[in-house]
Amino acid sequence: MKWLIGTTVVALFLTLTVACANMEVAEQTDEVAEETASDAVMAPVFEVDPMWPKPLPNHWILGSAIGVTVDSNDNIWIIHRGNGNPNTELGAAQDPPVAECCIPAPPVLQFSPEGDLLNHWGGPGEGYDWPGSNHGITVDPMGNLWIGGNGGDDAHILVFAQDGTFLKQFGSPGARRAESFDEADPSWSGNSMDPGNFGRVAKISFDASANEAYVADGYLNKRVAVLDIETGTLKRYWGAYGNEPDDADIGRYDPEAPPAQQFRNPVHAADPSNDGLVYVCDRPNNRIQVFRTDGTFVQEKVLSVNTLGAGSTWDVAFSKDSEQKYVYVADGQNMKVYVLLRETMEVLTTFGAGGRQPGQFFGTHSIATDSKGNIYTTETYEGKRVQKFTYMGEGPVEQKDQGVIWPAASR
Amino acid sequence: MACRIPVGRADGVSPLQGRRTATSPVAVRVLLYLAFTGIAAAVSLTGAYGHDIPSDITVRAFVKPEGQRLRMLVRVPLEAMLDVTFPLSGPGYLDLARADESLNNAAMLWIGQEVSIYENGSRLSLPELAAVRASLPSDPSFRTYESALASTLGPPLPEGTQVYWQQVMLDVLFEYRITSDRSEFSILPGLERLGMRVSTVLRFLPAAGGERIYQFTGNPGRIMLDPRWHQAAFRFVWQGFTHILDGMDHLLFLLCLVIPFQRLRVLVILVTAFTIAHSITLISATLGLTPAALWFVPLVETVIAASIVYMALENIVAPGLRRRWMAVFGFGLVHGFGFASALRDMLPFGGTHLLTSLLAFNVGVELGQLLVILVCVPILRVLYRYIPGEGTGRARPVGAIILSVLVGHTAWHWLVERGGTLWEFDVMSTSPDGALYGVAGLLALMLVIAALAGWALTRPGRPLE
Repeated sequence: MKWLIGTTVVALFLTLTVACANMEVAEQTDEVAEETASDAVMAPVFEVDPMWPKPLPNHWILGSAIGVTVDSNDNIWIIHRGNGNPNTELGAAQDPPVAECCIPAPPVLQFSPEGDLLNHWGGPGEGYDWPGSNHGITVDPMGNLWIGGNGGDDAHILVFAQDGTFLKQFGSPGARRAESFDEADPSWSGNSMDPGNFGRVAKISFDASANEAYVADGYLNKRVAVLDIETGTLKRYWGAYGNEPDDADIGRYDPEAPPAQQFRNPVHAADPSNDGLVYVCDRPNNRIQVFRTDGTFVQEKVLSVNTLGAGSTWDVAFSKDSEQKYVYVADGQNMKVYVLLRETMEVLTTFGAGGRQPGQFFGTHSIATDSKGNIYTTETYEGKRVQKFTYMGEGPVEQKDQGVIWPAASR
Repeated sequence: MACRIPVGRADGVSPLQGRRTATSPVAVRVLLYLAFTGIAAAVSLTGAYGHDIPSDITVRAFVKPEGQRLRMLVRVPLEAMLDVTFPLSGPGYLDLARADESLNNAAMLWIGQEVSIYENGSRLSLPELAAVRASLPSDPSFRTYESALASTLGPPLPEGTQVYWQQVMLDVLFEYRITSDRSEFSILPGLERLGMRVSTVLRFLPAAGGERIYQFTGNPGRIMLDPRWHQAAFRFVWQGFTHILDGMDHLLFLLCLVIPFQRLRVLVILVTAFTIAHSITLISATLGLTPAALWFVPLVETVIAASIVYMALENIVAPGLRRRWMAVFGFGLVHGFGFASALRDMLPFGGTHLLTSLLAFNVGVELGQLLVILVCVPILRVLYRYIPGEGTGRARPVGAIILSVLVGHTAWHWLVERGGTLWEFDVMSTSPDGALYGVAGLLALMLVIAALAGWALTRPGRPLE
């Protein structure tokens, strides 16, 4: 009898201990949850790594971070615009310096999987035209890095080796200048038929098996352009629904209006999957359009249909399983990431919320995955950072909108 | 429908490739270099300037004995091949048309002459360089032996391929003459000089079938690919011995055992009960008899923390000896699951001697625990002697209570933290399978532990020694 009483006491102790430990967490979780689905769905589970990356040296500071990619060694590359920071952030870079900090970091930074800064380069140099406003960075099958730009004159793409050696340039800056271009009152016009130049490229992605580059073209043009990786030769291009692109202004997005038959600027990403489909971010139209690699329209998925302004579909990345089962979509207007089941394009869950703390977003701009399934994001506007979301495995997710996915151990 | 570019029109377009010089300005590079010199040591540099030693290198290799030959396939980044001049073109592309000789030299210099393979204890002579191929960094062929072999023996990259030399992967096939594919093989990789930190994934495909994956960083010493039982046992005894000394929560649990009892014979009994228990669950986990769900590891860690809290409290309230081994046995079952996760990646080093390796690991853990006891007991005796309030007869030393409070306090924080993590997995209300496993597992573990602990707690114990 005594041992039975003892057993009960110890069991109660253990149960109460776990319950007490979890009570506070449960309350916090309930407050954060905006929507709770009745049934859990199986989805990839992530948590933010607040310790990644490690601090930059030399009083370097990031600007709007508008590109991220992961190379074959799982090193992470970002591109940002540190020179665009206000002087209040660049005290040490003024002449004379007014403070000990800060200095804009070089535009291209490479981080190890552990978050150490490995390499840095970028900016104007001899032999190439650095974009007026660099935009997007992606590693190609050769390991080279491709960079676009959405500055006024940017109509070209740059290719660099990983050590920063300039390799190639496709297109000429200034090609999109209007016929009546006036330096005092500059104007540019899109030309989505131009076979040799671009219109403010947002991002370039690659199909290694076909040796092709997919250009989200872009902030001025309204097309997906497919290039030969080695020569940069334009092979084909298309607009929304596979239509011939038309650069005419179609006005602002209206959620009540019929779907636009053309992309709106910017066409922000065009990523081929490994089963012959291409996922295009038609950003202000709040939709992902899916095509075959020849440009044949397959389907579209509208996300957060009532989003105005900059739109909801900024960048896509695929899960790293062989089937690329999930699609991750960055949304810099609603400050979150969508997790979609690729087969049905059903939104399983979202994570993130507006703010500047770890796991929050301000201008979720770009997204990429590594071989272990981890997600990396960069943020533009005043977000100005890169974040890592550690893949914890596939598990049941109850909340349709998870909010900040803070590390479980610290909640 | 996509808009096709007419061939003539597209060809008429002249991208700027090749029109410009491809050299970055020297001044910029000098400035960058100077900036780098101020960076803390934590920031490593990789090959940005000339042919430096790369910081992180990953080597992938397959070893497969087949009949009278042993094949070794290796993939190494070309940038790791120092002291070899590769023919370049343009801004730094590997000139594939002229690269064969330098690639062969690099392969023999940095791999063929460095790797030592032994057959039945005798080192094999230098291998024949059967094939060398430059590959793209995105090439996925080294995921399996078959695809790696097919790729390395397959056609080379087209000569016009423009791949920057430091981004090239060097794929090499070596062939060694052996007397039998059933011999005992071992390998001394010797590849640690390829970079500041060299990580190797070595897959051994024995003639009997199957595959063993060895992952290591730097120089692991000579790896017995087909170890004899005593070789496997020795390696795993050492692994177990070092592992217990690295695990803070296991050490605190041990300390809880030592704090109130200082008679070696008693402690050896307790520690042995612990070892037998964790051996059972460690072997079960290794054989795949545990849930693969995400919540399982947090569950184990939570209960491990609870075990320390319980033992510390028992030390304070009523340390009894007669039944304590039962509680220790119960908690040992849980700690075994914790050991299993640490052991999983090491098991290939045991070759075919899985059970021997597991038992040897446990022996190593037992030896480590005994060492801890041998160190702690005299220290505690001295400590208790000088702390005021030392008990006599049946009283408990004040020192034992203070130590138990400190240990229990530490473990309590772990318990709260790990319990919170476990709660996040929402074990109770997930999918039907998850709920079943979760509830059953949690209740079973708690009941086993509670029953054993309750039994021990309510029986009369011996007075403190």
